[in-house]
Amino acid sequence: MPEEKNRRRIQSSSVTTVISVSLVLFLLGLLGILFISAKKIADHFKENIDFHVYLKDNAKDEEVERLHNFLKASIYVKSSEYLSKDSAAARYKKKIGEDFERFIGYNPLPASMEVQLKAAYTNHDSIVWIQKQILDFSSVKEFDYQESLVNMVNKNINRLELILVIFIGLLMLIALGLINNTIRLAIYSRRYIIKTMQLVGATAGFIRKPFLLNGIKHGIISGIIANLILGGIIYAALKNIPDLEKVTDVRMMIYLYGIILILGILISGISTFFAVRKYLRLSSEELYY
Amino acid sequence: MSLETIIELSKASIFQKHNLVLTDVSLTIDKGEFVYLIGKTGSGKSSLLRTLYADIPLLQGEGNIAGYNLKKIKRKEIPFLRRKLGVVFQDFQLLPDRSINENLFFVMKATGWKDKEQMQQRTQAVLEKVHLGTKGFKMPHELSGGEQQRVVIARALVNEPEVILADEPTGNLDTETAQEIVGLLHEISKTGRAVIIATHDFHLFEYFKGRTIRFEGGRITDSKTTETTTV
Repeated sequence: MPEEKNRRRIQSSSVTTVISVSLVLFLLGLLGILFISAKKIADHFKENIDFHVYLKDNAKDEEVERLHNFLKASIYVKSSEYLSKDSAAARYKKKIGEDFERFIGYNPLPASMEVQLKAAYTNHDSIVWIQKQILDFSSVKEFDYQESLVNMVNKNINRLELILVIFIGLLMLIALGLINNTIRLAIYSRRYIIKTMQLVGATAGFIRKPFLLNGIKHGIISGIIANLILGGIIYAALKNIPDLEKVTDVRMMIYLYGIILILGILISGISTFFAVRKYLRLSSEELYY
Repeated sequence: MSLETIIELSKASIFQKHNLVLTDVSLTIDKGEFVYLIGKTGSGKSSLLRTLYADIPLLQGEGNIAGYNLKKIKRKEIPFLRRKLGVVFQDFQLLPDRSINENLFFVMKATGWKDKEQMQQRTQAVLEKVHLGTKGFKMPHELSGGEQQRVVIARALVNEPEVILADEPTGNLDTETAQEIVGLLHEISKTGRAVIIATHDFHLFEYFKGRTIRFEGGRITDSKTTETTTV
Protein backbone atom coordinates (compact mmCIF):
# COMPACT_ATOMS: atom_id res chain seq x y z
CA MET A 1 0.00 0.00 0.00
CA PRO A 2 1.43 3.38 -0.98
CA GLU A 3 -0.33 4.91 2.00
CA GLU A 4 1.67 2.69 4.27
CA LYS A 5 4.87 3.43 2.44
CA ASN A 6 4.23 7.11 2.90
CA ARG A 7 3.65 6.70 6.59
CA ARG A 8 6.81 4.66 6.85
CA ARG A 9 8.77 7.45 5.20
CA ILE A 10 7.51 10.00 7.70
CA GLN A 11 8.20 7.61 10.57
CA SER A 12 11.72 6.92 9.41
CA SER A 13 12.48 10.64 9.46
CA SER A 14 11.23 10.73 13.06
CA VAL A 15 13.42 7.74 13.85
CA THR A 16 16.54 9.60 12.70
CA THR A 17 15.57 12.62 14.77
CA VAL A 18 14.94 10.49 17.85
CA ILE A 19 18.23 8.61 17.42
CA SER A 20 20.33 11.74 17.11
CA VAL A 21 18.60 13.42 20.03
CA SER A 22 18.99 10.25 22.13
CA LEU A 23 22.71 10.04 21.41
CA VAL A 24 23.33 13.64 22.33
CA LEU A 25 21.35 13.25 25.55
CA PHE A 26 23.26 10.06 26.28
CA LEU A 27 26.59 11.88 25.93
CA LEU A 28 25.33 14.55 28.25
CA GLY A 29 24.30 11.88 30.74
CA LEU A 30 27.70 10.22 30.55
CA LEU A 31 29.34 13.48 31.49
CA GLY A 32 26.80 13.86 34.28
CA ILE A 33 27.84 10.50 35.68
CA LEU A 34 31.47 11.53 35.45
CA PHE A 35 30.62 14.66 37.38
CA ILE A 36 28.74 12.75 40.07
CA SER A 37 31.58 10.24 40.45
CA ALA A 38 34.21 12.95 40.58
CA LYS A 39 32.23 14.68 43.28
CA LYS A 40 31.91 11.43 45.18
CA ILE A 41 35.66 10.78 44.96
CA ALA A 42 36.40 14.31 46.06
CA ASP A 43 34.06 13.90 49.03
CA HIS A 44 35.82 10.66 49.89
CA PHE A 45 39.15 12.51 50.04
CA LYS A 46 37.74 15.30 52.13
CA GLU A 47 36.08 12.96 54.60
CA ASN A 48 39.35 11.12 55.25
CA ILE A 49 41.21 14.13 56.54
CA ASP A 50 41.98 13.66 60.27
CA PHE A 51 41.22 16.32 62.84
CA HIS A 52 42.67 15.83 66.32
CA VAL A 53 40.96 17.18 69.39
CA TYR A 54 43.53 16.82 72.19
CA LEU A 55 42.14 16.52 75.69
CA LYS A 56 43.53 17.86 78.91
CA ASP A 57 45.19 15.21 81.06
CA ASN A 58 42.96 16.16 83.99
CA ALA A 59 39.72 16.09 82.02
CA LYS A 60 36.91 14.33 83.83
CA ASP A 61 35.32 11.27 82.26
CA GLU A 62 31.83 12.80 82.13
CA GLU A 63 33.19 15.88 80.40
CA VAL A 64 34.90 13.74 77.81
CA GLU A 65 31.66 11.82 77.44
CA ARG A 66 29.76 15.08 76.94
CA LEU A 67 32.18 16.17 74.23
CA HIS A 68 31.91 12.82 72.50
CA ASN A 69 28.12 12.96 72.50
CA PHE A 70 28.23 16.49 71.19
CA LEU A 71 30.48 15.43 68.33
CA LYS A 72 28.33 12.44 67.48
CA ALA A 73 25.18 14.58 67.41
CA SER A 74 26.60 17.51 65.42
CA ILE A 75 25.74 17.85 61.73
CA TYR A 76 29.29 18.40 60.53
CA VAL A 77 31.00 15.31 61.97
CA LYS A 78 31.26 12.24 59.77
CA SER A 79 32.84 10.03 62.42
CA SER A 80 34.64 10.43 65.74
CA GLU A 81 36.68 8.08 67.85
CA TYR A 82 38.04 8.39 71.37
CA LEU A 83 41.73 7.64 71.69
CA SER A 84 42.97 7.22 75.30
CA LYS A 85 46.49 8.12 76.44
CA ASP A 86 47.48 4.46 76.39
CA SER A 87 46.16 3.67 72.95
CA ALA A 88 47.75 6.88 71.60
CA ALA A 89 51.09 5.70 73.01
CA ALA A 90 50.62 2.22 71.59
CA ARG A 91 49.76 3.65 68.20
CA TYR A 92 52.81 5.93 68.25
CA LYS A 93 55.14 3.16 69.35
CA LYS A 94 53.97 1.07 66.45
CA LYS A 95 54.50 3.96 64.13
CA ILE A 96 58.10 4.79 65.10
CA GLY A 97 59.03 1.21 66.05
CA GLU A 98 60.60 2.22 69.37
CA ASP A 99 59.44 2.15 72.94
CA PHE A 100 59.79 5.87 73.65
CA GLU A 101 58.13 5.59 77.09
CA ARG A 102 61.06 3.58 78.30
CA PHE A 103 63.68 6.29 77.74
CA ILE A 104 61.46 9.30 78.47
CA GLY A 105 60.05 7.62 81.52
CA TYR A 106 56.47 8.72 81.09
CA ASN A 107 53.76 9.02 78.40
CA PRO A 108 53.66 12.58 77.06
CA LEU A 109 50.83 11.89 74.61
CA PRO A 110 47.43 13.33 75.50
CA ALA A 111 44.15 11.50 75.07
CA SER A 112 42.23 12.74 72.00
CA MET A 113 39.15 12.60 69.82
CA GLU A 114 39.97 11.60 66.27
CA VAL A 115 37.38 13.36 64.10
CA GLN A 116 36.54 13.25 60.37
CA LEU A 117 34.34 16.05 59.06
CA LYS A 118 31.66 15.77 56.41
CA ALA A 119 32.79 16.91 52.94
CA ALA A 120 30.53 19.97 52.92
CA TYR A 121 32.29 21.31 56.06
CA THR A 122 35.85 20.57 55.08
CA ASN A 123 36.72 24.14 54.14
CA HIS A 124 38.56 26.91 55.90
CA ASP A 125 35.58 28.98 57.04
CA SER A 126 33.65 26.05 58.49
CA ILE A 127 36.72 24.65 60.19
CA VAL A 128 37.42 27.93 61.99
CA TRP A 129 33.85 27.97 63.24
CA ILE A 130 33.94 24.29 64.30
CA GLN A 131 37.27 24.83 66.05
CA LYS A 132 35.78 27.64 68.09
CA GLN A 133 32.82 25.48 69.13
CA ILE A 134 35.06 22.61 70.20
CA LEU A 135 37.55 24.76 72.09
CA ASP A 136 34.65 25.99 74.21
CA PHE A 137 34.64 22.62 75.96
CA SER A 138 36.66 22.81 79.16
CA SER A 139 38.14 19.35 78.60
CA VAL A 140 39.73 20.34 75.29
CA LYS A 141 43.35 21.39 75.23
CA GLU A 142 44.00 21.80 71.54
CA PHE A 143 42.39 21.45 68.11
CA ASP A 144 44.85 20.36 65.48
CA TYR A 145 44.80 19.52 61.80
CA GLN A 146 46.95 19.81 58.70
CA GLU A 147 45.82 23.13 57.31
CA SER A 148 47.97 22.88 54.22
CA LEU A 149 46.43 19.52 53.34
CA VAL A 150 42.89 20.90 53.65
CA ASN A 151 43.77 23.89 51.49
CA MET A 152 45.44 21.77 48.84
CA VAL A 153 42.57 19.29 48.63
CA ASN A 154 40.04 22.09 48.37
CA LYS A 155 42.03 23.97 45.75
CA ASN A 156 42.50 20.94 43.54
CA ILE A 157 38.91 19.82 43.83
CA ASN A 158 37.60 23.28 43.02
CA ARG A 159 39.81 23.42 39.96
CA LEU A 160 38.65 19.98 38.83
CA GLU A 161 35.01 20.90 39.35
CA LEU A 162 35.41 24.10 37.39
CA ILE A 163 36.93 22.22 34.47
CA LEU A 164 34.12 19.67 34.54
CA VAL A 165 31.44 22.33 34.72
CA ILE A 166 32.95 24.17 31.76
CA PHE A 167 33.13 20.90 29.87
CA ILE A 168 29.52 20.05 30.62
CA GLY A 169 28.44 23.55 29.68
CA LEU A 170 30.28 23.28 26.38
CA LEU A 171 28.76 19.90 25.64
CA MET A 172 25.35 21.26 26.55
CA LEU A 173 25.83 24.01 23.98
CA ILE A 174 26.85 21.47 21.36
CA ALA A 175 23.88 19.30 22.31
CA LEU A 176 21.55 22.24 21.95
CA GLY A 177 22.98 23.13 18.57
CA LEU A 178 22.89 19.57 17.27
CA ILE A 179 19.37 18.83 18.43
CA ASN A 180 18.16 22.19 17.20
CA ASN A 181 19.68 21.54 13.80
CA THR A 182 18.22 18.06 13.50
CA ILE A 183 14.76 19.30 14.39
CA ARG A 184 15.02 22.28 12.07
CA LEU A 185 15.87 19.96 9.21
CA ALA A 186 12.88 17.78 10.00
CA ILE A 187 10.61 20.84 10.03
CA TYR A 188 12.32 22.29 6.95
CA SER A 189 11.30 19.21 5.01
CA ARG A 190 7.69 20.04 5.84
CA ARG A 191 7.82 23.77 5.10
CA TYR A 192 5.51 23.54 2.09
CA ILE A 193 2.95 21.68 4.13
CA ILE A 194 3.09 24.45 6.71
CA LYS A 195 2.57 27.01 3.93
CA THR A 196 -0.36 25.09 2.49
CA MET A 197 -1.95 24.89 5.92
CA GLN A 198 -1.62 28.64 6.23
CA LEU A 199 -3.13 29.21 2.81
CA VAL A 200 -6.29 27.28 3.65
CA GLY A 201 -6.90 29.45 6.70
CA ALA A 202 -5.34 27.53 9.59
CA THR A 203 -4.15 29.71 12.47
CA ALA A 204 -0.52 29.59 13.56
CA GLY A 205 -1.47 27.90 16.81
CA PHE A 206 -3.44 25.20 15.04
CA ILE A 207 -0.53 24.41 12.72
CA ARG A 208 1.99 24.47 15.53
CA LYS A 209 0.11 22.18 17.89
CA PRO A 210 0.71 18.80 16.21
CA PHE A 211 4.34 19.71 15.54
CA LEU A 212 4.85 20.63 19.18
CA LEU A 213 3.13 17.51 20.48
CA ASN A 214 5.30 15.46 18.16
CA GLY A 215 8.42 17.30 19.32
CA ILE A 216 7.56 16.65 22.96
CA LYS A 217 6.83 13.01 22.18
CA HIS A 218 10.22 12.71 20.47
CA GLY A 219 11.85 14.39 23.47
CA ILE A 220 10.29 11.87 25.85
CA ILE A 221 11.25 8.87 23.70
CA SER A 222 14.80 10.20 23.26
CA GLY A 223 15.14 10.84 26.98
CA ILE A 224 13.98 7.32 27.77
CA ILE A 225 16.33 5.77 25.20
CA ALA A 226 19.27 7.81 26.50
CA ASN A 227 18.45 6.79 30.08
CA LEU A 228 18.15 3.13 29.12
CA ILE A 229 21.58 3.12 27.44
CA LEU A 230 23.02 4.99 30.40
CA GLY A 231 21.42 2.59 32.87
CA GLY A 232 22.69 -0.38 30.88
CA ILE A 233 26.24 0.94 30.88
CA ILE A 234 26.17 1.67 34.60
CA TYR A 235 24.77 -1.77 35.31
CA ALA A 236 27.45 -3.47 33.20
CA ALA A 237 30.21 -1.36 34.76
CA LEU A 238 29.08 -2.11 38.31
CA LYS A 239 28.83 -5.79 37.53
CA ASN A 240 32.35 -5.99 36.15
CA ILE A 241 34.06 -3.55 38.53
CA PRO A 242 32.28 -3.85 41.91
CA ASP A 243 34.59 -1.20 43.39
CA LEU A 244 32.79 1.39 41.32
CA GLU A 245 29.88 1.12 43.72
CA LYS A 246 31.85 3.36 46.08
CA VAL A 247 31.73 6.20 43.57
CA THR A 248 28.09 5.89 42.50
CA ASP A 249 25.47 7.95 44.21
CA VAL A 250 22.04 6.41 43.68
CA ARG A 251 20.07 9.51 44.64
CA MET A 252 22.09 11.75 42.32
CA MET A 253 21.73 9.14 39.58
CA ILE A 254 17.94 9.30 39.83
CA TYR A 255 18.12 13.10 39.62
CA LEU A 256 20.33 12.74 36.55
CA TYR A 257 17.78 10.50 34.81
CA GLY A 258 15.08 13.05 35.55
CA ILE A 259 17.22 15.91 34.28
CA ILE A 260 17.99 14.09 31.03
CA LEU A 261 14.31 13.38 30.43
CA ILE A 262 13.34 16.99 31.13
CA LEU A 263 16.20 18.30 28.99
CA GLY A 264 15.07 16.06 26.14
CA ILE A 265 11.53 17.38 26.32
CA LEU A 266 12.59 21.01 26.75
CA ILE A 267 15.22 21.10 24.01
CA SER A 268 13.06 19.19 21.56
CA GLY A 269 9.93 21.20 22.33
CA ILE A 270 11.61 24.60 22.23
CA SER A 271 13.54 23.82 19.04
CA THR A 272 10.34 22.66 17.38
CA PHE A 273 8.53 25.79 18.46
CA PHE A 274 11.13 28.10 16.95
CA ALA A 275 11.64 26.05 13.80
CA VAL A 276 7.91 26.02 13.06
CA ARG A 277 7.64 29.69 13.89
CA LYS A 278 10.35 30.46 11.39
CA TYR A 279 8.45 28.78 8.56
CA LEU A 280 5.17 30.27 9.68
CA ARG A 281 6.64 33.72 9.25
CA LEU A 282 8.43 33.11 5.96
CA SER A 283 6.70 34.40 2.85
CA SER A 284 6.06 32.03 -0.04
CA GLU A 285 9.07 33.10 -2.10
CA GLU A 286 11.49 32.69 0.76
CA LEU A 287 10.51 29.05 1.09
CA TYR A 288 12.35 28.20 -2.10
CA TYR A 289 15.74 29.31 -0.89
CA MET B 1 -19.06 50.25 -2.10
CA SER B 2 -22.40 48.63 -2.81
CA LEU B 3 -23.77 45.72 -0.83
CA GLU B 4 -22.96 43.41 -3.67
CA THR B 5 -19.31 44.42 -3.81
CA ILE B 6 -16.99 41.81 -2.37
CA ILE B 7 -13.61 43.05 -3.62
CA GLU B 8 -12.58 46.65 -3.99
CA LEU B 9 -9.14 47.97 -4.86
CA SER B 10 -8.39 51.61 -5.45
CA LYS B 11 -5.09 53.03 -6.70
CA ALA B 12 -3.30 49.98 -5.39
CA SER B 13 0.34 49.36 -6.24
CA ILE B 14 1.54 45.82 -5.98
CA PHE B 15 5.09 44.92 -5.14
CA GLN B 16 6.84 41.61 -5.47
CA LYS B 17 9.50 41.99 -2.79
CA HIS B 18 10.92 45.38 -3.77
CA ASN B 19 9.92 45.30 -7.43
CA LEU B 20 6.85 47.17 -8.48
CA VAL B 21 4.76 44.83 -10.66
CA LEU B 22 1.44 46.65 -10.94
CA THR B 23 0.59 50.31 -10.50
CA ASP B 24 -2.65 52.13 -10.04
CA VAL B 25 -4.95 49.15 -9.84
CA SER B 26 -8.56 50.10 -9.23
CA LEU B 27 -11.36 47.60 -9.59
CA THR B 28 -14.50 46.38 -7.91
CA ILE B 29 -15.85 42.86 -8.16
CA ASP B 30 -19.39 41.92 -7.11
CA LYS B 31 -20.75 38.69 -5.68
CA GLY B 32 -21.55 36.11 -8.36
CA GLU B 33 -19.20 37.63 -10.92
CA PHE B 34 -17.04 35.42 -13.13
CA VAL B 35 -13.80 37.21 -13.88
CA TYR B 36 -10.72 36.27 -15.88
CA LEU B 37 -7.37 37.85 -15.16
CA ILE B 38 -5.48 37.56 -18.43
CA GLY B 39 -1.87 38.27 -19.14
CA LYS B 40 1.49 36.76 -19.86
CA THR B 41 3.38 35.02 -17.10
CA GLY B 42 5.08 37.65 -15.00
CA SER B 43 2.48 40.29 -15.77
CA GLY B 44 1.34 40.42 -12.14
CA LYS B 45 -1.80 38.25 -12.11
CA SER B 46 -0.50 35.99 -9.40
CA SER B 47 0.82 38.91 -7.40
CA LEU B 48 -2.61 40.52 -7.52
CA LEU B 49 -4.28 37.33 -6.35
CA ARG B 50 -1.70 36.84 -3.63
CA THR B 51 -2.34 40.37 -2.47
CA LEU B 52 -6.03 39.50 -2.29
CA TYR B 53 -5.40 36.54 -0.02
CA ALA B 54 -2.82 38.49 1.99
CA ASP B 55 0.22 36.49 1.00
CA ILE B 56 1.73 39.76 -0.23
CA PRO B 57 1.12 42.86 1.88
CA LEU B 58 -0.65 45.80 0.27
CA LEU B 59 1.66 48.74 0.79
CA GLN B 60 0.18 51.45 -1.44
CA GLY B 61 -3.43 52.25 -2.21
CA GLU B 62 -6.54 50.84 -0.62
CA GLY B 63 -7.99 47.36 -0.69
CA ASN B 64 -11.01 45.64 0.82
CA ILE B 65 -12.02 42.03 0.45
CA ALA B 66 -14.87 40.23 2.19
CA GLY B 67 -14.94 42.86 4.91
CA TYR B 68 -11.18 42.95 5.60
CA ASN B 69 -8.98 45.95 4.94
CA LEU B 70 -5.91 44.57 3.19
CA LYS B 71 -3.73 47.46 4.23
CA LYS B 72 -4.52 47.24 7.92
CA ILE B 73 -4.89 43.50 8.28
CA LYS B 74 -2.84 41.99 11.12
CA ARG B 75 -0.89 38.75 10.89
CA LYS B 76 -3.32 37.14 13.32
CA GLU B 77 -6.36 38.08 11.21
CA ILE B 78 -5.05 36.60 7.98
CA PRO B 79 -6.25 33.03 8.68
CA PHE B 80 -9.76 34.36 9.24
CA LEU B 81 -9.71 36.31 5.98
CA ARG B 82 -8.59 33.17 4.15
CA ARG B 83 -11.53 31.24 5.54
CA LYS B 84 -13.81 33.56 3.59
CA LEU B 85 -11.88 32.88 0.40
CA GLY B 86 -11.41 29.66 -1.48
CA VAL B 87 -8.03 29.54 -3.14
CA VAL B 88 -7.20 27.21 -6.05
CA PHE B 89 -3.53 26.90 -6.88
CA GLN B 90 -1.73 25.96 -10.07
CA ASP B 91 0.39 23.51 -8.11
CA PHE B 92 -2.61 22.20 -6.15
CA GLN B 93 -1.02 22.58 -2.69
CA LEU B 94 -2.63 19.48 -1.29
CA LEU B 95 -1.08 18.01 1.83
CA PRO B 96 0.89 15.08 0.37
CA ASP B 97 1.10 13.16 3.61
CA ARG B 98 -2.61 12.39 3.99
CA SER B 99 -5.60 11.16 2.03
CA ILE B 100 -8.09 13.36 0.17
CA ASN B 101 -10.62 13.01 2.98
CA GLU B 102 -7.96 13.92 5.54
CA ASN B 103 -7.00 16.92 3.43
CA LEU B 104 -10.55 18.19 3.60
CA PHE B 105 -10.86 17.25 7.28
CA PHE B 106 -7.74 19.25 7.96
CA VAL B 107 -9.28 22.39 6.51
CA MET B 108 -12.43 21.83 8.50
CA LYS B 109 -10.62 21.15 11.77
CA ALA B 110 -8.39 24.15 11.17
CA THR B 111 -11.40 26.35 10.66
CA GLY B 112 -13.27 25.25 13.73
CA TRP B 113 -15.41 22.29 12.69
CA LYS B 114 -15.96 19.90 15.56
CA ASP B 115 -18.69 17.40 14.71
CA LYS B 116 -17.21 14.39 12.94
CA GLU B 117 -20.44 13.38 11.23
CA GLN B 118 -21.00 16.86 9.87
CA MET B 119 -17.45 16.89 8.60
CA GLN B 120 -17.92 13.62 6.80
CA GLN B 121 -21.17 14.81 5.27
CA ARG B 122 -19.61 18.06 4.10
CA THR B 123 -16.60 16.21 2.67
CA GLN B 124 -18.86 13.90 0.71
CA ALA B 125 -20.98 16.82 -0.47
CA VAL B 126 -18.09 18.88 -1.83
CA LEU B 127 -16.39 15.85 -3.37
CA GLU B 128 -19.61 14.96 -5.17
CA LYS B 129 -19.85 18.52 -6.41
CA VAL B 130 -16.53 18.02 -8.20
CA HIS B 131 -17.48 14.47 -9.27
CA LEU B 132 -15.00 12.70 -7.01
CA GLY B 133 -17.48 11.18 -4.58
CA THR B 134 -15.77 7.79 -4.55
CA LYS B 135 -12.11 8.80 -4.32
CA GLY B 136 -11.89 10.35 -0.88
CA PHE B 137 -9.79 7.53 0.54
CA LYS B 138 -6.97 8.00 -2.00
CA MET B 139 -3.69 9.80 -1.45
CA PRO B 140 -3.12 12.96 -3.53
CA HIS B 141 -0.33 11.37 -5.58
CA GLU B 142 -2.65 8.54 -6.59
CA LEU B 143 -4.90 10.96 -8.48
CA SER B 144 -4.39 12.50 -11.91
CA GLY B 145 -3.66 16.22 -12.24
CA GLY B 146 -7.24 17.00 -13.20
CA GLU B 147 -8.56 15.03 -10.28
CA GLN B 148 -6.18 16.71 -7.87
CA GLN B 149 -7.28 20.11 -9.13
CA ARG B 150 -10.91 19.10 -8.59
CA VAL B 151 -10.00 18.15 -5.02
CA VAL B 152 -8.49 21.58 -4.58
CA ILE B 153 -11.73 23.15 -5.81
CA ALA B 154 -13.65 20.93 -3.39
CA ARG B 155 -11.33 22.08 -0.63
CA ALA B 156 -11.90 25.71 -1.60
CA LEU B 157 -15.65 25.16 -1.32
CA VAL B 158 -15.62 23.57 2.13
CA ASN B 159 -16.35 26.72 4.09
CA GLU B 160 -18.87 28.23 1.64
CA PRO B 161 -16.50 31.06 0.67
CA GLU B 162 -17.74 34.30 -0.83
CA VAL B 163 -14.86 34.45 -3.26
CA ILE B 164 -12.96 31.79 -5.18
CA LEU B 165 -9.48 32.84 -6.29
CA ALA B 166 -7.92 30.52 -8.85
CA ASP B 167 -4.31 31.08 -9.81
CA GLU B 168 -3.63 29.37 -13.16
CA PRO B 169 -5.89 26.47 -12.16
CA THR B 170 -5.43 24.88 -15.57
CA GLY B 171 -1.73 25.57 -15.98
CA ASN B 172 -0.73 21.96 -15.40
CA LEU B 173 -3.62 20.36 -17.26
CA ASP B 174 -4.47 19.37 -20.84
CA THR B 175 -7.00 21.42 -22.80
CA GLU B 176 -9.92 19.10 -22.27
CA THR B 177 -9.40 18.78 -18.53
CA ALA B 178 -8.79 22.51 -18.35
CA GLN B 179 -12.20 23.18 -19.86
CA GLU B 180 -13.78 20.79 -17.42
CA ILE B 181 -12.18 22.60 -14.48
CA VAL B 182 -13.16 26.06 -15.71
CA GLY B 183 -16.67 24.75 -16.35
CA LEU B 184 -16.82 23.65 -12.76
CA LEU B 185 -15.70 27.08 -11.55
CA HIS B 186 -18.22 28.73 -13.89
CA GLU B 187 -21.00 26.68 -12.33
CA ILE B 188 -19.83 27.71 -8.86
CA SER B 189 -20.06 31.38 -9.80
CA LYS B 190 -23.74 30.88 -10.54
CA THR B 191 -24.33 30.05 -6.86
CA GLY B 192 -23.55 33.66 -5.93
CA ARG B 193 -19.82 33.45 -5.33
CA ALA B 194 -17.33 35.68 -7.09
CA VAL B 195 -14.91 33.55 -9.07
CA ILE B 196 -11.63 35.04 -10.23
CA ILE B 197 -9.42 33.00 -12.53
CA ALA B 198 -5.91 34.06 -13.46
CA THR B 199 -4.87 32.43 -16.71
CA HIS B 200 -2.66 32.85 -19.75
CA ASP B 201 -4.88 30.49 -21.73
CA PHE B 202 -6.78 32.78 -24.12
CA HIS B 203 -8.96 29.95 -25.43
CA LEU B 204 -10.77 29.36 -22.18
CA PHE B 205 -13.04 32.34 -22.33
CA GLU B 206 -14.31 31.34 -25.72
CA TYR B 207 -16.09 28.51 -23.93
CA PHE B 208 -17.11 30.30 -20.76
CA LYS B 209 -17.85 33.98 -21.15
CA GLY B 210 -16.89 36.32 -18.36
CA ARG B 211 -15.53 39.70 -17.49
CA THR B 212 -11.86 39.96 -18.46
CA ILE B 213 -9.17 42.03 -16.85
CA ARG B 214 -6.04 42.24 -18.97
CA PHE B 215 -2.59 42.70 -17.49
CA GLU B 216 -0.08 44.52 -19.63
CA GLY B 217 2.94 46.70 -18.93
CA GLY B 218 2.28 46.94 -15.22
CA ARG B 219 -1.31 48.16 -15.66
CA ILE B 220 -4.73 46.57 -16.01
CA THR B 221 -7.50 46.99 -18.59
CA ASP B 222 -10.97 46.01 -17.47
CA SER B 223 -13.55 44.80 -20.04
CA LYS B 224 -16.30 46.16 -17.79
CA THR B 225 -15.12 49.73 -17.85
CA THR B 226 -13.15 49.39 -21.12
CA GLU B 227 -11.04 52.30 -20.15
CA THR B 228 -7.36 52.20 -19.37
CA THR B 229 -6.79 52.97 -15.76
CA THR B 230 -4.08 55.50 -16.34
CA VAL B 231 -3.56 58.57 -14.28
